[in-house]
Amino acid sequence: MLSNSVSYAQLLETNNMLQALTDETYWLCVTRTTQESKLFPVPSYMLLSYLNAYYRYPTLLRKIEARMPAEQLGDRARQMGTKIDTLTMGWTLPGFYNLGREWLINMGLLRPEDAVEDTVYVMDFWKRFQLSYHRNDGHITNRDFGHRSQILPEHQLQVFQADLFAVEAGDRLHTAANKFMATVSQFQFLSHCECRIGICNQGPYKFGEKSELIVRDFMDLAECDYPWLDGVSAEVPYNNLTIPMVAKDTHFYLMDDWGSFESEPEFKAESISHIGLYTSDHLTEGRLPVAMGSAGELAAEFDRLREIFTEATGKLWKRIAAWSRAEMIEAGALVYYNIPKDLAHLAGVYEQSDWFDIDERAARFIPLLNDEFGRDCLTELVGLVSLPSQQVNDYTMMQHSNLPKRMYTPIPYAILETGTYTRTSGPLYPGSHVLADKKGKWRTSRGDLTQAEYNQAARGFTPKLCQAPYIHFDETWVKYHHDDPEVDEMYRIAQAQSRNLKDRGAGLSRADVEKLRGDG
Amino acid sequence: MTGKSAAKIALATNKYGDAEATPLTKMFHERIRALVQRKLEESGGDWNSFVFDKSYDLITEADMVAIEKEVLATGYRYDVSATISAKEAPEKYKPLAGQDEVEFSGEVVDGKVQVGFGDNVVKYPQNLVGTACYVHTSEDVMELMMNGVPEGSIAVIDDSGGTLTAPVLEGFAGVICMGGTVRSHLGILTREYGIPCLMNCKIQGIKNGDRLEMNVSAGAKTAQDYQKNIEKTAEIWKLV
Repeated sequence: MLSNSVSYAQLLETNNMLQALTDETYWLCVTRTTQESKLFPVPSYMLLSYLNAYYRYPTLLRKIEARMPAEQLGDRARQMGTKIDTLTMGWTLPGFYNLGREWLINMGLLRPEDAVEDTVYVMDFWKRFQLSYHRNDGHITNRDFGHRSQILPEHQLQVFQADLFAVEAGDRLHTAANKFMATVSQFQFLSHCECRIGICNQGPYKFGEKSELIVRDFMDLAECDYPWLDGVSAEVPYNNLTIPMVAKDTHFYLMDDWGSFESEPEFKAESISHIGLYTSDHLTEGRLPVAMGSAGELAAEFDRLREIFTEATGKLWKRIAAWSRAEMIEAGALVYYNIPKDLAHLAGVYEQSDWFDIDERAARFIPLLNDEFGRDCLTELVGLVSLPSQQVNDYTMMQHSNLPKRMYTPIPYAILETGTYTRTSGPLYPGSHVLADKKGKWRTSRGDLTQAEYNQAARGFTPKLCQAPYIHFDETWVKYHHDDPEVDEMYRIAQAQSRNLKDRGAGLSRADVEKLRGDG
Repeated sequence: MTGKSAAKIALATNKYGDAEATPLTKMFHERIRALVQRKLEESGGDWNSFVFDKSYDLITEADMVAIEKEVLATGYRYDVSATISAKEAPEKYKPLAGQDEVEFSGEVVDGKVQVGFGDNVVKYPQNLVGTACYVHTSEDVMELMMNGVPEGSIAVIDDSGGTLTAPVLEGFAGVICMGGTVRSHLGILTREYGIPCLMNCKIQGIKNGDRLEMNVSAGAKTAQDYQKNIEKTAEIWKLV
């Protein structure tokens, strides 16, 4: 018998989040195509990642939060284009953990009332992060906002508006930018073992009559956490790149929690009217402009980067094509499992073994992960919702399908009566890997750093805009206090590296910024 | 209420539960559940001390190997999706299935005969004419990397992913993919590169070196078309 360490209110809230996750996971999985690959056994590695997430996330999130609370991580993440974004945090963190839980229930290895404190904690961490990350739009997820994300504050959007270069289909910058985006997208699918988590979009933001901005981030490009990029990405100068782009006559009516969008009419490269390039990491004062001095300079930089990524793609493909199936399964599982790893970088507690080992509790199941079982078990888990644990009473009509099913099993309230539940799946167990060890340094805005140097630098750094008093100067405060010297200073900090907006302060409207653009 | 759990595993009593829908998932899961039940009983039957402590030592990788061996001993063989799976363990996998049979009329109209159709990713002003070039394996890609993609080649690919063809995709004039949808990674990448592409294709009788015309001036298939099951296909012709 355990004394109850969770309250009725906590269970109500946790189960509400699990149900919302059920509804959205089903929608995402049936409207987004299942990816297949002749190179990678994708569904098999996805299943393995879920088990690793289930066994390891609670311990690792607690380790991160011992240095930095979830809501502070959310505040920091808004300022950057790193892998702490909609895609990694909006759905995947709770999704992976709970898919692991659900699969284990179906193998008879868990009951719904097991590791209750872990499940409550993971969902509470996620909620606090999401509320903070989405502070400016006031929602908890893109889904909650009708599939939209407006993460950025006015001062960042004004810098984009002032500095993005006007382009037209066929001009040098338009051509260079689009060729670069194709090349780097290709590289990201490859370096991320066929999954999309190296690319994420947010927005839209209104940029004028019939003009909307979306912000696209490409993350983990250089020599970084992924051991397979050691050497391959030696020439890649930036680990993360952000490309804000304005589309004319295109309405982005859907931006989901996987960071992908739908638009009306269909988005085409020819629709892009303004574009720019920025970089950021856990050690930068927000997003820093890259080659934003002139349109010609930016076009040349896109061309230079494109050549670098074309070369890197060839090298990486040859490395991966020589991998064994065990290496492919492991690499894919790790890319999925370690989606929250940048939280550890941000908190300065990153350890490669935390995020690049398969826990021995998860590794037990690798012999089952042939192609067919991977495909079918995953399809049952997230598409058919047909596993035994997922069936509920016949009166139930699940959102979207109207079927008596539920993807994620709630925690039973009866534990408040019986007290018979378990609290946690335990501490981190030993892990191992068959892939090559990480040997290179981490490429950052402060040069190439060792793991220890990177952690130390992260622990000693807080961007100015995340310090008092600015961190709590929100949009409502700005609305009524834009003439306050401290608010004005906050805008000047954000404008420090702007080509057209430096030292303009807090008083400008969107129309004012448009007039300042000059020839763009 | 008792504070001690009964010696039953999860799902042992399940008012609403059905069995798994797919045969292999059912076979594996049933065997694992039976294993867990047996190990629980052997360990004394207390679930709370079993679930996260004893079970880690009692349910092992060797058990999973044994379960797979038992299933394979029934004569069951797995469907394959990744090339490497069958390459490393051919004894566990069925031979690769061929393309679904489709038949076209064979009627020659204006010097061309239909040999396929698919979902158009992007509408272009004109159709594309090029030469068929099959890309099935890593070895095919390696050869194209070494020798270059011949100008005007139309890749004929059965993989809708974005990784197999990564180093050579940009060199193709067009892509015919037998899987996926316009939103698969390959569809996304061809759109970004500006390469005409048909996804989810059914084809018949296309050989390496055939001169093909892709009807990429047809309307693009949209997400709404898929959701509403609207048929919207674009033809592939062989020039004769």
